[in-house]
Amino acid sequence: MRSEQEVNRAIEQYSDTVRRICMIHLKNYADTEDIFQTVFLKYALSPISFKNEEHEKAWLIRVTINACKDLLKSAFRRRAVPLDSLTEQAALLPQDDRDVLEAVLSLPKKYKDVVYLHYYEEYTAPQISQILGKNVNTIYTLLTRSKQILKEKLGGDGYE
Amino acid sequence: MNNRIKKAFDVIHAEEELKEKTKAFLFQKAQGKSERKTGKLHRLVPALICLLFVLIGSGGCGLYFIPTAAVSIDINPSLELEVNRFDQVVAVKGYNDDGYTLASSMHLTFQNYNEAVKQILENEQIAALLSQNEVLTITVTGSNEEQRGKILSDIELCTAGQENAYCYSATPSELAAAHEAGLSYGKYRAFLELQAADPNVTPEDVQGMTMREIRDLIAGLSSGRQETNTGNGTHGTGNGGGRGNGMNGMGRGRHGQ
Repeated sequence: MRSEQEVNRAIEQYSDTVRRICMIHLKNYADTEDIFQTVFLKYALSPISFKNEEHEKAWLIRVTINACKDLLKSAFRRRAVPLDSLTEQAALLPQDDRDVLEAVLSLPKKYKDVVYLHYYEEYTAPQISQILGKNVNTIYTLLTRSKQILKEKLGGDGYE
Repeated sequence: MNNRIKKAFDVIHAEEELKEKTKAFLFQKAQGKSERKTGKLHRLVPALICLLFVLIGSGGCGLYFIPTAAVSIDINPSLELEVNRFDQVVAVKGYNDDGYTLASSMHLTFQNYNEAVKQILENEQIAALLSQNEVLTITVTGSNEEQRGKILSDIELCTAGQENAYCYSATPSELAAAHEAGLSYGKYRAFLELQAADPNVTPEDVQGMTMREIRDLIAGLSSGRQETNTGNGTHGTGNGGGRGNGMNGMGRGRHGQ
Protein backbone atom coordinates (compact mmCIF):
# COMPACT_ATOMS: atom_id res chain seq x y z
CA MET A 1 0.00 0.00 0.00
CA ARG A 2 1.28 3.47 -0.87
CA SER A 3 2.07 5.94 1.91
CA GLU A 4 -0.55 8.44 3.08
CA GLN A 5 1.70 11.24 1.89
CA GLU A 6 1.96 9.77 -1.60
CA VAL A 7 -1.81 9.24 -1.85
CA ASN A 8 -2.53 12.78 -0.65
CA ARG A 9 -0.10 14.13 -3.23
CA ALA A 10 -1.91 12.19 -5.97
CA ILE A 11 -5.30 13.46 -4.78
CA GLU A 12 -4.09 17.06 -4.88
CA GLN A 13 -2.41 16.61 -8.25
CA TYR A 14 -5.04 14.64 -10.17
CA SER A 15 -8.37 15.47 -8.50
CA ASP A 16 -9.28 18.08 -11.10
CA THR A 17 -8.67 15.60 -13.93
CA VAL A 18 -10.73 12.89 -12.21
CA ARG A 19 -13.46 15.45 -11.48
CA ARG A 20 -13.69 16.54 -15.13
CA ILE A 21 -13.95 12.94 -16.34
CA CYS A 22 -16.68 12.33 -13.75
CA MET A 23 -18.53 15.39 -14.98
CA ILE A 24 -18.44 14.03 -18.54
CA HIS A 25 -19.86 10.64 -17.54
CA LEU A 26 -21.88 10.97 -14.35
CA LYS A 27 -24.99 12.78 -13.39
CA ASN A 28 -24.78 13.28 -9.70
CA TYR A 29 -22.37 14.23 -6.98
CA ALA A 30 -22.85 11.02 -4.99
CA ASP A 31 -21.61 8.97 -7.95
CA THR A 32 -18.64 11.31 -8.26
CA GLU A 33 -17.79 10.68 -4.61
CA ASP A 34 -17.96 6.92 -5.27
CA ILE A 35 -15.62 7.22 -8.22
CA PHE A 36 -13.13 9.33 -6.27
CA GLN A 37 -13.04 6.71 -3.52
CA THR A 38 -12.75 3.81 -5.98
CA VAL A 39 -10.03 5.43 -8.08
CA PHE A 40 -7.82 6.64 -5.26
CA LEU A 41 -8.28 3.41 -3.28
CA LYS A 42 -7.08 1.50 -6.35
CA TYR A 43 -4.18 3.93 -6.59
CA ALA A 44 -3.35 3.43 -2.91
CA LEU A 45 -3.41 -0.36 -3.23
CA SER A 46 -1.78 -0.66 -6.65
CA PRO A 47 1.74 -2.10 -6.61
CA ILE A 48 2.54 -0.51 -10.00
CA SER A 49 5.64 1.67 -9.94
CA PHE A 50 5.04 4.47 -12.41
CA LYS A 51 7.82 5.41 -14.81
CA ASN A 52 7.00 9.11 -14.56
CA GLU A 53 4.14 11.53 -13.90
CA GLU A 54 2.75 11.12 -17.41
CA HIS A 55 2.50 7.37 -16.91
CA GLU A 56 0.83 7.91 -13.53
CA LYS A 57 -1.67 10.41 -14.96
CA ALA A 58 -2.54 8.16 -17.92
CA TRP A 59 -3.10 5.24 -15.51
CA LEU A 60 -5.44 7.33 -13.35
CA ILE A 61 -7.37 8.59 -16.39
CA ARG A 62 -7.85 5.04 -17.62
CA VAL A 63 -8.92 3.75 -14.20
CA THR A 64 -11.34 6.69 -13.80
CA ILE A 65 -12.95 6.14 -17.21
CA ASN A 66 -13.31 2.41 -16.54
CA ALA A 67 -14.73 3.06 -13.06
CA CYS A 68 -17.31 5.49 -14.49
CA LYS A 69 -18.32 2.99 -17.16
CA ASP A 70 -18.59 0.17 -14.61
CA LEU A 71 -20.76 2.34 -12.40
CA LEU A 72 -23.05 3.31 -15.27
CA LYS A 73 -23.32 -0.33 -16.30
CA SER A 74 -24.62 -1.39 -12.90
CA ALA A 75 -28.31 -2.27 -12.91
CA PHE A 76 -29.53 0.64 -10.78
CA ARG A 77 -27.79 3.33 -12.75
CA ARG A 78 -28.32 2.28 -16.35
CA ARG A 79 -29.88 5.55 -17.40
CA ALA A 80 -28.87 8.24 -19.84
CA VAL A 81 -26.69 11.11 -18.65
CA PRO A 82 -28.76 14.28 -18.81
CA LEU A 83 -27.43 17.71 -19.55
CA ASP A 84 -28.34 18.98 -16.12
CA SER A 85 -25.40 17.01 -14.78
CA LEU A 86 -23.33 20.14 -15.15
CA THR A 87 -21.86 21.01 -11.80
CA GLU A 88 -22.68 24.05 -9.72
CA GLN A 89 -19.35 25.46 -10.82
CA ALA A 90 -20.40 25.12 -14.44
CA ALA A 91 -23.74 26.73 -13.72
CA LEU A 92 -21.90 29.92 -12.82
CA LEU A 93 -20.01 29.97 -16.10
CA PRO A 94 -20.47 32.59 -18.81
CA GLN A 95 -23.05 31.43 -21.34
CA ASP A 96 -20.44 30.67 -24.02
CA ASP A 97 -18.46 28.31 -21.75
CA ARG A 98 -21.67 26.70 -20.57
CA ASP A 99 -22.72 26.11 -24.18
CA VAL A 100 -19.39 24.47 -24.90
CA LEU A 101 -19.66 22.13 -21.90
CA GLU A 102 -23.23 21.27 -22.77
CA ALA A 103 -22.20 20.52 -26.33
CA VAL A 104 -19.44 18.19 -25.15
CA LEU A 105 -21.70 16.46 -22.63
CA SER A 106 -24.40 15.97 -25.21
CA LEU A 107 -22.03 14.13 -27.54
CA PRO A 108 -22.65 10.39 -27.92
CA LYS A 109 -20.75 8.44 -25.24
CA LYS A 110 -18.00 7.18 -27.52
CA TYR A 111 -16.83 10.71 -28.41
CA LYS A 112 -16.71 12.29 -24.97
CA ASP A 113 -13.46 10.82 -23.64
CA VAL A 114 -11.70 11.38 -26.95
CA VAL A 115 -12.78 15.02 -27.09
CA TYR A 116 -11.75 15.66 -23.50
CA LEU A 117 -8.41 13.89 -23.80
CA HIS A 118 -7.55 15.57 -27.10
CA TYR A 119 -8.82 19.10 -26.66
CA TYR A 120 -8.29 19.57 -22.96
CA GLU A 121 -5.49 17.21 -21.92
CA GLU A 122 -3.81 17.69 -25.34
CA TYR A 123 -3.06 14.02 -25.89
CA THR A 124 -2.33 12.91 -29.44
CA ALA A 125 -4.43 10.24 -31.17
CA PRO A 126 -1.78 7.51 -30.62
CA GLN A 127 -1.57 8.43 -26.92
CA ILE A 128 -5.37 8.35 -26.60
CA SER A 129 -5.47 4.98 -28.33
CA GLN A 130 -3.09 3.63 -25.67
CA ILE A 131 -5.05 5.11 -22.78
CA LEU A 132 -8.42 3.89 -24.06
CA GLY A 133 -7.14 0.62 -25.50
CA LYS A 134 -8.58 1.42 -28.91
CA ASN A 135 -7.17 1.31 -32.41
CA VAL A 136 -5.45 4.58 -33.36
CA ASN A 137 -7.47 4.81 -36.59
CA THR A 138 -10.65 4.54 -34.53
CA ILE A 139 -9.45 7.53 -32.49
CA TYR A 140 -8.80 9.58 -35.64
CA THR A 141 -12.30 8.73 -36.88
CA LEU A 142 -13.88 9.63 -33.53
CA LEU A 143 -12.00 12.93 -33.46
CA THR A 144 -13.05 13.86 -36.99
CA ARG A 145 -16.71 13.04 -36.32
CA SER A 146 -16.77 14.79 -32.97
CA LYS A 147 -15.22 17.86 -34.57
CA GLN A 148 -18.05 17.91 -37.13
CA ILE A 149 -20.72 17.50 -34.45
CA LEU A 150 -19.22 20.25 -32.30
CA LYS A 151 -18.99 22.54 -35.31
CA GLU A 152 -22.67 21.95 -36.04
CA LYS A 153 -23.70 22.55 -32.46
CA LEU A 154 -21.50 25.53 -31.70
CA GLY A 155 -20.84 26.99 -35.09
CA GLY A 156 -17.55 28.51 -36.20
CA ASP A 157 -14.55 26.68 -37.59
CA GLY A 158 -12.22 26.85 -34.63
CA TYR A 159 -12.30 23.11 -33.89
CA GLU A 160 -9.02 22.10 -35.42
CA MET B 1 -6.74 23.33 -30.92
CA ASN B 2 -9.85 24.67 -29.45
CA ASN B 3 -9.42 27.29 -26.78
CA ARG B 4 -13.14 27.39 -26.05
CA ILE B 5 -13.14 23.79 -24.83
CA LYS B 6 -10.00 24.34 -22.81
CA LYS B 7 -11.39 27.52 -21.27
CA ALA B 8 -14.70 25.86 -20.38
CA PHE B 9 -13.12 22.80 -18.76
CA ASP B 10 -10.53 24.94 -16.98
CA VAL B 11 -13.25 26.19 -14.66
CA ILE B 12 -14.08 22.71 -13.40
CA HIS B 13 -12.14 21.79 -10.28
CA ALA B 14 -12.53 19.10 -7.68
CA GLU B 15 -14.32 20.56 -4.69
CA GLU B 16 -12.21 20.76 -1.52
CA GLU B 17 -14.96 18.87 0.29
CA LEU B 18 -14.66 16.05 -2.24
CA LYS B 19 -10.91 15.81 -1.77
CA GLU B 20 -11.22 15.84 2.00
CA LYS B 21 -13.93 13.18 1.95
CA THR B 22 -11.77 10.98 -0.25
CA LYS B 23 -8.78 11.43 2.03
CA ALA B 24 -10.93 10.65 5.06
CA PHE B 25 -12.29 7.52 3.37
CA LEU B 26 -8.79 6.29 2.50
CA PHE B 27 -7.54 7.11 5.99
CA GLN B 28 -10.47 5.17 7.45
CA LYS B 29 -9.65 2.21 5.18
CA ALA B 30 -6.03 2.27 6.26
CA GLN B 31 -7.06 2.63 9.92
CA GLY B 32 -9.50 -0.23 9.56
CA LYS B 33 -6.66 -2.41 8.39
CA SER B 34 -4.31 -1.48 11.18
CA GLU B 35 -7.06 -1.65 13.79
CA ARG B 36 -7.76 -5.17 12.76
CA LYS B 37 -4.10 -5.88 13.27
CA THR B 38 -3.75 -4.18 16.64
CA GLY B 39 -7.18 -4.07 18.31
CA LYS B 40 -7.41 -6.49 21.22
CA LEU B 41 -10.97 -7.55 20.52
CA HIS B 42 -10.49 -7.66 16.79
CA ARG B 43 -7.43 -9.83 17.26
CA LEU B 44 -9.62 -12.53 18.68
CA VAL B 45 -12.18 -12.43 15.90
CA PRO B 46 -10.15 -14.26 13.23
CA ALA B 47 -9.14 -16.88 15.80
CA LEU B 48 -12.76 -17.39 16.80
CA ILE B 49 -13.81 -17.59 13.18
CA CYS B 50 -11.08 -20.13 12.50
CA LEU B 51 -12.18 -22.13 15.54
CA LEU B 52 -15.75 -22.02 14.27
CA PHE B 53 -14.60 -23.21 10.87
CA VAL B 54 -12.67 -26.06 12.44
CA LEU B 55 -15.72 -26.99 14.48
CA ILE B 56 -18.10 -27.05 11.59
CA GLY B 57 -15.57 -29.10 9.67
CA SER B 58 -14.40 -29.01 6.14
CA GLY B 59 -17.88 -28.31 4.81
CA GLY B 60 -17.87 -24.82 6.39
CA CYS B 61 -17.98 -21.39 4.88
CA GLY B 62 -14.17 -21.24 4.77
CA LEU B 63 -14.37 -23.41 1.71
CA TYR B 64 -15.95 -20.51 -0.08
CA PHE B 65 -12.61 -18.80 -0.42
CA ILE B 66 -10.66 -21.85 -1.53
CA PRO B 67 -10.23 -21.86 -5.30
CA THR B 68 -10.99 -25.17 -6.97
CA ALA B 69 -10.54 -24.06 -10.57
CA ALA B 70 -8.82 -21.30 -12.50
CA VAL B 71 -9.70 -19.59 -15.76
CA SER B 72 -6.64 -18.23 -17.52
CA ILE B 73 -7.30 -15.52 -20.11
CA ASP B 74 -4.58 -14.42 -22.51
CA ILE B 75 -4.63 -11.95 -25.36
CA ASN B 76 -1.97 -9.55 -24.30
CA PRO B 77 -3.40 -8.64 -21.00
CA SER B 78 -2.87 -11.98 -19.23
CA LEU B 79 -5.01 -12.61 -16.21
CA GLU B 80 -6.36 -15.49 -14.23
CA LEU B 81 -9.67 -15.86 -12.41
CA GLU B 82 -9.67 -18.19 -9.41
CA VAL B 83 -13.04 -19.91 -9.06
CA ASN B 84 -14.37 -21.66 -5.96
CA ARG B 85 -16.52 -24.79 -5.78
CA PHE B 86 -19.63 -22.59 -5.92
CA ASP B 87 -18.55 -21.22 -9.34
CA GLN B 88 -17.82 -17.78 -7.89
CA VAL B 89 -14.67 -15.83 -8.73
CA VAL B 90 -12.72 -15.42 -5.47
CA ALA B 91 -9.53 -13.82 -6.81
CA VAL B 92 -8.24 -12.14 -9.98
CA LYS B 93 -4.52 -12.13 -10.76
CA GLY B 94 -2.75 -10.17 -13.48
CA TYR B 95 0.26 -11.85 -15.09
CA ASN B 96 1.70 -8.78 -16.81
CA ASP B 97 1.29 -5.01 -16.48
CA ASP B 98 -1.66 -4.91 -18.90
CA GLY B 99 -3.26 -7.84 -17.09
CA TYR B 100 -2.84 -6.16 -13.74
CA THR B 101 -4.28 -2.88 -15.02
CA LEU B 102 -7.24 -4.66 -16.54
CA ALA B 103 -7.82 -6.73 -13.40
CA SER B 104 -7.72 -3.67 -11.17
CA SER B 105 -10.08 -1.71 -13.39
CA MET B 106 -12.88 -4.28 -13.26
CA HIS B 107 -14.99 -5.68 -10.45
CA LEU B 108 -14.84 -9.40 -11.11
CA THR B 109 -14.61 -10.96 -7.67
CA PHE B 110 -17.66 -12.65 -6.11
CA GLN B 111 -19.32 -12.94 -9.49
CA ASN B 112 -20.18 -16.12 -11.32
CA TYR B 113 -17.30 -17.06 -13.67
CA ASN B 114 -19.61 -16.79 -16.67
CA GLU B 115 -20.50 -13.20 -15.83
CA ALA B 116 -16.83 -12.37 -15.17
CA VAL B 117 -15.66 -13.80 -18.52
CA LYS B 118 -18.51 -12.00 -20.27
CA GLN B 119 -17.44 -8.70 -18.70
CA ILE B 120 -13.85 -9.25 -19.79
CA LEU B 121 -14.90 -10.02 -23.36
CA GLU B 122 -17.07 -6.90 -23.39
CA ASN B 123 -14.24 -4.74 -22.07
CA GLU B 124 -13.37 -2.11 -24.66
CA GLN B 125 -9.68 -2.93 -24.68
CA ILE B 126 -10.28 -6.66 -25.22
CA ALA B 127 -12.99 -6.02 -27.82
CA ALA B 128 -10.61 -3.68 -29.67
CA LEU B 129 -7.82 -6.29 -29.61
CA LEU B 130 -10.18 -8.97 -30.90
CA SER B 131 -11.34 -6.70 -33.69
CA GLN B 132 -7.68 -6.31 -34.67
CA ASN B 133 -7.48 -10.06 -35.23
CA GLU B 134 -5.59 -10.73 -31.98
CA VAL B 135 -5.78 -14.27 -30.60
CA LEU B 136 -7.62 -14.91 -27.35
CA THR B 137 -6.83 -18.06 -25.38
CA ILE B 138 -8.92 -19.19 -22.44
CA THR B 139 -7.75 -22.15 -20.39
CA VAL B 140 -9.66 -23.83 -17.60
CA THR B 141 -7.71 -25.74 -14.97
CA GLY B 142 -8.70 -27.49 -11.79
CA SER B 143 -8.54 -30.80 -9.99
CA ASN B 144 -12.27 -31.43 -10.18
CA GLU B 145 -12.82 -32.82 -13.65
CA GLU B 146 -16.56 -32.32 -13.52
CA GLN B 147 -16.30 -28.62 -12.62
CA ARG B 148 -13.52 -28.13 -15.14
CA GLY B 149 -15.65 -29.65 -17.91
CA LYS B 150 -18.67 -27.56 -16.95
CA ILE B 151 -16.70 -24.30 -16.90
CA LEU B 152 -15.03 -25.15 -20.21
CA SER B 153 -18.31 -25.81 -21.96
CA ASP B 154 -19.88 -22.65 -20.52
CA ILE B 155 -16.93 -20.56 -21.66
CA GLU B 156 -17.00 -22.14 -25.08
CA LEU B 157 -20.60 -21.01 -25.37
CA CYS B 158 -19.61 -17.56 -24.16
CA THR B 159 -16.85 -17.24 -26.79
CA ALA B 160 -18.80 -18.93 -29.59
CA GLY B 161 -19.10 -15.65 -31.48
CA GLN B 162 -15.35 -14.94 -31.41
CA GLU B 163 -13.48 -16.30 -34.38
CA ASN B 164 -10.06 -15.97 -32.76
CA ALA B 165 -10.95 -17.39 -29.36
CA TYR B 166 -9.61 -20.79 -28.27
CA CYS B 167 -10.64 -22.71 -25.21
CA TYR B 168 -8.66 -25.46 -23.50
CA SER B 169 -8.61 -27.32 -20.25
CA ALA B 170 -5.54 -28.42 -18.33
CA THR B 171 -4.56 -30.24 -15.13
CA PRO B 172 -3.33 -28.50 -11.94
CA SER B 173 0.22 -29.80 -12.46
CA GLU B 174 0.33 -28.11 -15.87
CA LEU B 175 -0.96 -24.90 -14.28
CA ALA B 176 1.72 -25.15 -11.56
CA ALA B 177 4.42 -25.48 -14.24
CA ALA B 178 3.06 -22.35 -15.97
CA HIS B 179 3.10 -20.36 -12.73
CA GLU B 180 6.64 -21.54 -12.03
CA ALA B 181 7.63 -20.05 -15.38
CA GLY B 182 5.88 -16.79 -14.38
CA LEU B 183 3.24 -17.13 -17.08
CA SER B 184 -0.49 -17.63 -17.15
CA TYR B 185 -1.46 -21.01 -18.57
CA GLY B 186 -2.61 -19.92 -22.03
CA LYS B 187 0.64 -18.10 -22.65
CA TYR B 188 2.68 -20.96 -21.15
CA ARG B 189 1.06 -23.37 -23.57
CA ALA B 190 1.95 -21.14 -26.51
CA PHE B 191 5.45 -20.75 -25.05
CA LEU B 192 5.92 -24.55 -25.04
CA GLU B 193 4.93 -24.70 -28.68
CA LEU B 194 7.31 -21.88 -29.52
CA GLN B 195 10.09 -23.51 -27.52
CA ALA B 196 9.62 -26.73 -29.48
CA ALA B 197 10.35 -24.75 -32.63
CA ASP B 198 13.09 -22.60 -31.10
CA PRO B 199 14.74 -24.07 -27.96
CA ASN B 200 16.47 -20.76 -27.16
CA VAL B 201 13.21 -18.98 -26.32
CA THR B 202 12.69 -18.22 -22.60
CA PRO B 203 9.47 -17.46 -20.70
CA GLU B 204 10.70 -13.86 -20.24
CA ASP B 205 10.82 -13.46 -24.03
CA VAL B 206 7.12 -14.17 -24.40
CA GLN B 207 5.85 -12.41 -21.27
CA GLY B 208 5.23 -9.07 -23.00
CA MET B 209 4.13 -10.51 -26.36
CA THR B 210 0.54 -10.77 -27.50
CA MET B 211 -0.86 -14.19 -28.25
CA ARG B 212 -1.06 -13.20 -31.92
CA GLU B 213 2.66 -12.34 -31.94
CA ILE B 214 3.55 -15.70 -30.38
CA ARG B 215 1.30 -17.55 -32.79
CA ASP B 216 2.81 -15.72 -35.77
CA LEU B 217 6.29 -16.55 -34.50
CA ILE B 218 5.40 -20.23 -34.14
CA ALA B 219 3.90 -20.24 -37.61
CA GLY B 220 7.02 -18.61 -39.01
CA LEU B 221 9.39 -20.99 -37.26
CA SER B 222 7.69 -24.29 -37.63
CA SER B 223 5.57 -23.67 -40.72
CA GLY B 224 2.75 -25.95 -39.84
CA ARG B 225 4.76 -28.52 -37.90
CA GLN B 226 2.98 -27.71 -34.63
CA GLU B 227 -0.24 -29.43 -35.61
CA THR B 228 1.38 -32.85 -35.47
CA ASN B 229 3.52 -31.99 -32.44
CA THR B 230 0.82 -30.99 -29.99
CA GLY B 231 -1.86 -33.42 -31.07
CA ASN B 232 -4.34 -31.94 -28.70
CA GLY B 233 -6.57 -29.91 -30.93
CA THR B 234 -4.79 -26.61 -30.45
CA HIS B 235 -5.23 -25.72 -34.06
CA GLY B 236 -8.27 -27.76 -34.79
CA THR B 237 -11.21 -26.39 -36.57
CA GLY B 238 -14.83 -26.63 -35.57
CA ASN B 239 -15.91 -27.49 -32.06
CA GLY B 240 -14.71 -31.05 -31.68
CA GLY B 241 -12.88 -32.02 -28.49
CA GLY B 242 -9.57 -33.83 -28.67
CA ARG B 243 -7.46 -35.48 -26.00
CA GLY B 244 -3.76 -36.09 -25.99
CA ASN B 245 -0.58 -35.88 -23.90
CA GLY B 246 -2.29 -34.89 -20.68
CA MET B 247 -4.18 -31.89 -21.96
CA ASN B 248 -7.74 -31.82 -23.05
CA GLY B 249 -7.64 -29.49 -25.99
CA MET B 250 -10.54 -28.04 -27.81
CA GLY B 251 -9.86 -25.91 -30.84
CA ARG B 252 -12.35 -23.42 -32.13
CA GLY B 253 -12.58 -22.08 -35.66
CA ARG B 254 -9.23 -20.55 -36.46
CA HIS B 255 -7.10 -18.92 -39.11
CA GLY B 256 -6.01 -22.19 -40.72
CA GLN B 257 -2.24 -22.00 -40.53
